[in-house]
Amino acid sequence: MSRKIMNFVTEKVCQNSSAKSGKFTKDSSSFPTPLLLQTTKGGSIPHLAKEVYEYVTTDQPFLQISLSNTEQMRESLDAFEKGIAKFVGFPSSPTFLVMKSPTEISPSGFNEGGASPLFGRKGKELLTPEKYIKLVEVFQPDMYHSLPDSDTNIDSSKKRLRKSLIRNLDFFENSLEIHKTSERLSKSMFFAPIVGGFCKITRTECVKLMKPRFSDVDGFLIDGLHNNGAHASKLELSSLKEIVSHTIEELGEKEKPKVMVGAYSPLAVLEMIKLGVDVFDSSYVYIASKNFKALTFNFDLNTESKVNEFALDLSDPKYKEDFSPLLDNCTCLTCTKHTKAYINHLIVTKELLAPILLMIHNTKHYLNYFEAIRKSVQNDNIQEMITLLESQVAEQDIEDSFEGRNSESDQVEAKKRKLAS
Amino acid sequence: MTAATATKAPPLAYQVMAKCSTTKARVGNLVLPHSHVDTPVFMPVGTQGTLKGILPDQLLTLNCQILLGNTYHLGLRPGTEVLKKVGGLHKFMGWPRNILTDSGGFQMVSLLDLAEITEEGVKFRSPYDESNECMLTPEHSIQIQNVIGADIIMQLDDVVKTTTTGPRVEEAMHRTIRWIDRCLEANERDHDQNIFPIVQGGLNPELRKQCVAELTKRAVRGFAVGGLSGGESKDDFWKTVHVCTDLLPDDKPRYLMGVGFAEDLVVCVALGIDMFDCVFPTRTARFGCALLHSGQINLKNKQFEKDFRPIDEDCTCSTCTTYTRAYLHNIATVESVSSSLISIHNVAYQLRLMREMREAIHKNCFPDYVRGFFKTLYPGELPPGWVCDALKAVGIELTVENKS
Repeated sequence: MSRKIMNFVTEKVCQNSSAKSGKFTKDSSSFPTPLLLQTTKGGSIPHLAKEVYEYVTTDQPFLQISLSNTEQMRESLDAFEKGIAKFVGFPSSPTFLVMKSPTEISPSGFNEGGASPLFGRKGKELLTPEKYIKLVEVFQPDMYHSLPDSDTNIDSSKKRLRKSLIRNLDFFENSLEIHKTSERLSKSMFFAPIVGGFCKITRTECVKLMKPRFSDVDGFLIDGLHNNGAHASKLELSSLKEIVSHTIEELGEKEKPKVMVGAYSPLAVLEMIKLGVDVFDSSYVYIASKNFKALTFNFDLNTESKVNEFALDLSDPKYKEDFSPLLDNCTCLTCTKHTKAYINHLIVTKELLAPILLMIHNTKHYLNYFEAIRKSVQNDNIQEMITLLESQVAEQDIEDSFEGRNSESDQVEAKKRKLAS
Repeated sequence: MTAATATKAPPLAYQVMAKCSTTKARVGNLVLPHSHVDTPVFMPVGTQGTLKGILPDQLLTLNCQILLGNTYHLGLRPGTEVLKKVGGLHKFMGWPRNILTDSGGFQMVSLLDLAEITEEGVKFRSPYDESNECMLTPEHSIQIQNVIGADIIMQLDDVVKTTTTGPRVEEAMHRTIRWIDRCLEANERDHDQNIFPIVQGGLNPELRKQCVAELTKRAVRGFAVGGLSGGESKDDFWKTVHVCTDLLPDDKPRYLMGVGFAEDLVVCVALGIDMFDCVFPTRTARFGCALLHSGQINLKNKQFEKDFRPIDEDCTCSTCTTYTRAYLHNIATVESVSSSLISIHNVAYQLRLMREMREAIHKNCFPDYVRGFFKTLYPGELPPGWVCDALKAVGIELTVENKS
């Protein structure tokens, strides 16, 4: 695998849990794990110009690109020839290409025959492994996964799980064969999507059937747990822990990175890290921002058990005359230069700057959170962090507060697309 | 800011730094309470306390020196109570440089069907409560603007449709003069807020002359030219501007309200205007339109799908140094970030155009600049007749070069 541009090494495994640290390296840059990918819409970090993202951090982002909101760029990209990272203005950023956007509810269905549906801007397109890899070649991502059938969730029937298992395996084997012959993807890391909903038997079988090809696989996507959107943040934690723990045990392959895509809650992220998952994305940050939430939970183990409100709803009229920053002592641009009252005004007047200011704060907060998580893995005290988070989640049901006009409009959007296809 | 913390210096100092030896164009240094402004200047419009999709920090990077805010909108939301508590709009929005606010009258007449003008003020029904009749008087407008705290504030004027003719135009002109006195009287922050009167009089040069004669008798530090850019013919437009700049004193800044198309800016700078504002550059950005010296382009257009150049190769804005036309083509009007990206470029374009004109005036080569500008905008042909006529009136002949 040394011919890849991107490499992954595990550096440390904790004693008290399965949490581990490691790093991805590309050229001279390295990206330590547990890693937060920046999710994108149309190739941009939602609402943030590159110039504005650089106010948040000068570290290069590791981008997560979703085919469902970039597939329409294929003609441009094909002519461009230099890959998606350069095309979206982040030439030195690594990219992980996924099929569905984790920030919106994915439409279900159309899982027939030898193809998987891609729901793009203009409707549905049925992709065979051949068509899919051809499309991926145009994007030239550093990491991607085989064509999946991961259209399952906690409520999926046995029949659907079974079908997803068979189809996903078939797509995986075919994608891998084409991947191995693809010149343009020879430097890309190839991930296997492990499916099976919340059914341990199906998960076990999925791993068993794919295992013979694991030597050709660079990493794993623990997939098929939800249909994206805010829904992922509401998954019941004990069931999630149980199924992911089981999947990781069955997988083995301790040296290879494991990715979970979706808007998992901050606490769920910690629990998954404890089980050995390495990579997540920022869709929770985006969904919070578009629902006018400012993340304020405390993750600093050094402060004497400071319990914060988990998140603030800035659309609440109570902030109309609150001239304090979103979070005391936060050093982000939003908190150093703007107030809750101003953000509340921007929300009330439906101004574009409201989600921009919230994205700046929330992205900074979440990047700092991941920094603290990595420290906690180094210090082997991830459980302390979990306890700290638990004490704050109890204060406010963050999942429920996500039930806003936007999750509704997500569903409407998904429905519209379904009709259009 | 209260009187106690105010400085002794007047809240506005204007000095002409260079004059074009051919046209009426001039470069000025306008010193206002929050910072200085290089004129001629274009003021981007931040209607509700934000320039749509752009951070104040980005505006500083672009070296924007003055923003426009709308009193009508700000008075409704966040409202004067909030603005009073926070200490004005600069603090509320985190903008350290200058702000100009309009009087609110124009928006009221143009946005509300039910507005009616009487000697007392503008009578209207609340947009949120139709049964509630309100009155915006000159005093009330200044009170609100005193709370907002802009560096330059506008008098309430009697706005009539640009194309109106007859006695109503004359009535509006006289009333505007009566109202400036009430506004000046009502201003409680003359030490740090400058009221500009507004020259009215429609398209009638005689009325404009009378109006200027009256307004210049008042103790004011700058003037606005109003009642234009509202559907009148381009001939009437430039001639009226020309009349006004001939009459207004040289030692005070002149602000032409609501004008911001590139060719209008170039012509009106030549006619001696110093300040401009317009929503067009940022509004058109949200529809995917980008501004260039060669004209505007709609990035949604299929022709840009494989165009890997920046919007403008000569532009140094963060959008042009980061993104291609092809990328913007794919996200314009779809992803909200595209509004920010194209707005940044369009504001950068407007500011650059003004900077280029200032530099040309400084070097006393403004006529050459104007010729070059129109040659790029209309390659191989003459600009519209009104442009040629207006420029000819200030000594610039435009010709089409013989193609060799």
